[in-house]
Amino acid sequence: MEAFFTIANTDLLVAMVRLSTPITLAAIGAVICERSGIVNIAMEGIMIVGAFFAAVGALYTGNPWIGLLMGIVAGGIFSLIHAVATVSFHLNHVVSGAVLNILAMGVTRYFMVLFFGHPGTTDPIPNNLGQLRWAIPGLSKIPVIGRMFFDQTPIVYFSFILVIFFAWFMKKTKVGLHIRAAGEHPLALETIGVSVKKMRYLGVFISGLTSGMGGAYLAIENSASFTEGMTNGRGFIALAANISGGWNPIGAFIASLFFGFADALQVRFQVGKVFDIPEEIFIIFPYVATIIAVAGLVRRSRPPKEVGVDFMIEQEGD
Amino acid sequence: MDIKKLKPVFFIASILMAVIGTTLYMGSYFSGLLFILAAVVLFLAYKWLESGTAALLGLIKAGAQALMVPVFGIAIAIVLGALVMLASNYDPVESYRALFYGAFVQNWHVSVLNAAPLMFTGLSVALAFHAGLFNIGAEGQYYIGAMAATFLGLNLNLPPFLSLILIFVIAGMLASAWNIVPAILKVRTGAHEVITTMMLAHTARYLSPIFIRAHGGDPSTSDHAYVTDQLPEANWLPRFRSFLPEANYRLHVGILIGIAMALLVYYLLYHTRIGFEIRAVGQNKDAARAQGISIGKNIMMALLLAGFLAGLAGVNQVVGLDHKLYENLSAGYGWNGISVALLASSHPIGVIFTALLWGALDAGGQYMARVTDTSNSIVEIIKGIILFLVVAKYIYAYLGNRIRRYRRRKQEAAEGAA
Repeated sequence: MEAFFTIANTDLLVAMVRLSTPITLAAIGAVICERSGIVNIAMEGIMIVGAFFAAVGALYTGNPWIGLLMGIVAGGIFSLIHAVATVSFHLNHVVSGAVLNILAMGVTRYFMVLFFGHPGTTDPIPNNLGQLRWAIPGLSKIPVIGRMFFDQTPIVYFSFILVIFFAWFMKKTKVGLHIRAAGEHPLALETIGVSVKKMRYLGVFISGLTSGMGGAYLAIENSASFTEGMTNGRGFIALAANISGGWNPIGAFIASLFFGFADALQVRFQVGKVFDIPEEIFIIFPYVATIIAVAGLVRRSRPPKEVGVDFMIEQEGD
Repeated sequence: MDIKKLKPVFFIASILMAVIGTTLYMGSYFSGLLFILAAVVLFLAYKWLESGTAALLGLIKAGAQALMVPVFGIAIAIVLGALVMLASNYDPVESYRALFYGAFVQNWHVSVLNAAPLMFTGLSVALAFHAGLFNIGAEGQYYIGAMAATFLGLNLNLPPFLSLILIFVIAGMLASAWNIVPAILKVRTGAHEVITTMMLAHTARYLSPIFIRAHGGDPSTSDHAYVTDQLPEANWLPRFRSFLPEANYRLHVGILIGIAMALLVYYLLYHTRIGFEIRAVGQNKDAARAQGISIGKNIMMALLLAGFLAGLAGVNQVVGLDHKLYENLSAGYGWNGISVALLASSHPIGVIFTALLWGALDAGGQYMARVTDTSNSIVEIIKGIILFLVVAKYIYAYLGNRIRRYRRRKQEAAEGAA
């Protein structure tokens, strides 16, 4: 029983929220992107690029906010390659995503050597966002919930705001509806005079920005340095969160919390040394949880009708 | 005498030359190239005897066309890579000289050693692609294959070749079993194999340290921490040294098994019923179903075969090169297998060449980093650019359309003026 409480306490839930944040951010991007009709498996790569440039920005300027901005922008720019390849050049979405993941590994390795003289891990970042804990007056005093949601670091709050914003954006704004139409019925959208291409570009770009932010969170808030391969499959877990969350931001957030929980549990088991089992058994928790989630929940919801389907209109004169 | 009667002679001679040439060339005997050329000439002669001049020219033209995009992509990537080098203050001419000299002459044996596992993982991804599936988790199956090979290699005590065959078959089957869950989920619930195989890849990666500690790599009890005990020599793959005295001592025959496997996969895909069904499912599920081909069965088949092939990459590394299993020493053969397959447009024969190219770029990069100031991470950039330029075939269609439109407009303008 004592062992149980060394693991199951408020700290576990706080860690759950913290560890779900990068997944949530990327998952929001996945929702928008897939709703617009583009499959984006490049998020893993976008996250690693975002993480790297966030670390570079934070290290070179000494200002973590500039680092965050650089991470987001780098993610956005990198994602545009996916947009150009899939939307304009009609490349298979999964192939393009896989290529981008490989390219991201190469790019970060190259710049790593160029900027820091060695591959692997950067120097520690002295000014990082993990030091800023913003307790919201009043709300943070609520037991359990207060510490989970109202006594966190900046990007965690941003992820909450983005979840709410995009839930509203996709349901209530014209652009949001157009993005959804691009994935459900592109021809109809084109008929009413809205460019499917533009909407799909926008969808991919938003996913690039949020995934870049998720990467930045890993490098300059959750830890204080960049390590090659530090995303560790989170881009793919985010994809699973999007699917098990039924292609909507709130659902994706809840699914991300579940994956964050698996991750937090894993860390606690490892650090707590509660059982005499190799620690690696716990490390695989989140991965197994992801498989269970996509296996069990996938039938409950329906993907956008034209997701992954190329859209091509022959223009006159071509 | 009718020259047509010599047809089988030409064919057999061509095969023989190809086998000798490939073996010599892979063993760093560059004279093997002459045999390979002879094999190509003999094969073309055979084709000419079989189907005449027009068909032969058609064959050559089709081959040249298929090669155009990759060659063009590689050329552009080399130019862009030079620009990146210039931008980072490296000397491109000297770097490239070192890179190519290292990759194809000085350290060709390293290129071959790198290429062997890539060939297996590349074939794995390519085969799954033919069924419309993306085996992105080849890395995980690689680990399972490597672990199984280590376990069997440490414990099997049979006549040498028998145990080697058993290791390849059983370890391959275990790796293919690693893909059972994604396959069943894909068939039953439609869970995307990209996510499930990827998650299982990470799982396998984290299982390997446990395995290594249990087989002699425990840092608290063993003097060789984080690496398993060594396999008995009877369970090692034969080396080129045993029949080519001047070959590098590390060079093992895994590459020949890889090439044989590529030919086998080619035969399976294009000349058997199983391969036909797999390709039918990959190209058009509805049409395949209408023909009475079971979608589920073929998805299962493709994913399991893919797992088997990727597992062999791990076996090849353990029984061929390392003879033990290291912790955290994956060179990403699974991930790079994806590039190799994409670069070859999933054609099994193409995989032979792209795997060699990828292996050579890695080997050349290492050599370049040793003899010049240029960092070998530039190779990663060049690989990325090559991949993108080759994969994005539509770029060329787009550019072609642009040029054609421009010409037409100019012509129309000229006609309008006249």
